[in-house]
Amino acid sequence: MKISFTLNGKQILVEADEETRLLDLLREDLHHTGTKEGCGEGECGACTVLIDGRAVNSCLVLAPQVDGKELLTIEGLSQSVSLSSADQGDECRLHPIQRAFAEKGAVQCGFCTPGFIMSTYALLLKNSNPTDEQILTALEGNLCRCTGYLKILEAVRYAAELMRGNK
Amino acid sequence: MDEQYIKIGSVEELLQSLQSPGAVILCGGTDLVVKMRKGLLSAKTLLDISDLDQLREIRQERGCIEIGAAVSFSQIIEEAIIREQIPILAMGLRKLGSTQIRNRGTIGGNLVNASPAADSAIPLLLLDAEVVIADSTGERRVQLEDFLCGPGKTVLKQGEFLSGIRVPIPDPEFSSFFHKVGRRKALTIAIASLGALLRMKDDAIDEIRLAAGSVAPAPIRLHPVETLLAGRRVTPQSVEQARNIIRQCISPITDLRATADYRYQVIADLLARLLLTMPN
Repeated sequence: MKISFTLNGKQILVEADEETRLLDLLREDLHHTGTKEGCGEGECGACTVLIDGRAVNSCLVLAPQVDGKELLTIEGLSQSVSLSSADQGDECRLHPIQRAFAEKGAVQCGFCTPGFIMSTYALLLKNSNPTDEQILTALEGNLCRCTGYLKILEAVRYAAELMRGNK
Repeated sequence: MDEQYIKIGSVEELLQSLQSPGAVILCGGTDLVVKMRKGLLSAKTLLDISDLDQLREIRQERGCIEIGAAVSFSQIIEEAIIREQIPILAMGLRKLGSTQIRNRGTIGGNLVNASPAADSAIPLLLLDAEVVIADSTGERRVQLEDFLCGPGKTVLKQGEFLSGIRVPIPDPEFSSFFHKVGRRKALTIAIASLGALLRMKDDAIDEIRLAAGSVAPAPIRLHPVETLLAGRRVTPQSVEQARNIIRQCISPITDLRATADYRYQVIADLLARLLLTMPN
């Protein structure tokens, strides 16, 4: 069936089987491979994307369910601060949350990172100055097997500061 | 999986589509999509009600709050009238799943899924909530306690669907408790859970309502313990008696999460903790 939605600010129209998961539509059909599959059951959060501004597990959403919705994936996040000049370095294209994760060492193997960053984005969209407790609640659906979470927590605090324009 | 998918646009369309054999209602998908992929559920037609606005409203009317079946947990937690008037519901739902799950999962889905561990059922049982069941001939209301029959089983019949939940607004004097024991804080299926609404009067328990999850075929109210404790002070003797009675109310099993023995022990401990730490 035909599905039409906004992906990272662009209106798209795709043909997908009715039982396709959003995760597979993004990765296999649209080649947006930044969204990862971890558990496939909503336990790990590696596949987190935003639908209409809310963080969801794309492994639990069927593709036709996003018809008419607005989607944001990790690819859209870096674009959303992209600079017009092609000769700018990669670092310049990073979203402040991505910069914060890199600078604070909140990334080790990196597999969980897109999910964590999308959950962080959904949080900061609503709350520009979250408490540690609010950060932990926003990230409770994301698992990381490498970092031990402290650096991720630091990165989210720092990202919030960056986005408030304090640094 | 080779289901047909229909995005449902109205209650009338839903009622009509429910007539076809093998039709299954899909909403948030947090349970259903996992079950389908594991081959635990087969559907010929998926009826997606996630955009059905008629089932996505929270309304207050004459001492009751009505929550549509397709309202997400996040929507409920964020709703001011819920947090102010039935705080136990927001308290319990904050422990359910994760942020991502709460953004998709719905109150109707959690009840129809009928897990013995269903987190939303505990506060709703405490609140004496009724479910509203609709079919082509009209509506009927059933106490949640009677709606849940066992693992995956409800009183829903062919052609019927759960359209919403009616929650009587409780006395604001009630204090709320909800405690869930699991392997981790988020995304855990309860090993055991205990919720309570409690009102004190002159150092004694005036009224207490208790409900537990994962210790019986369905989430249950613990009426015998409530009766035992009503009108009594909390003393070492009354706590001990309550511990004994609660063990008689439950019928836990051993499964991959915990043994039955552990569940007997932990539910009695949760009750004792609740009684010994409650406000005077």
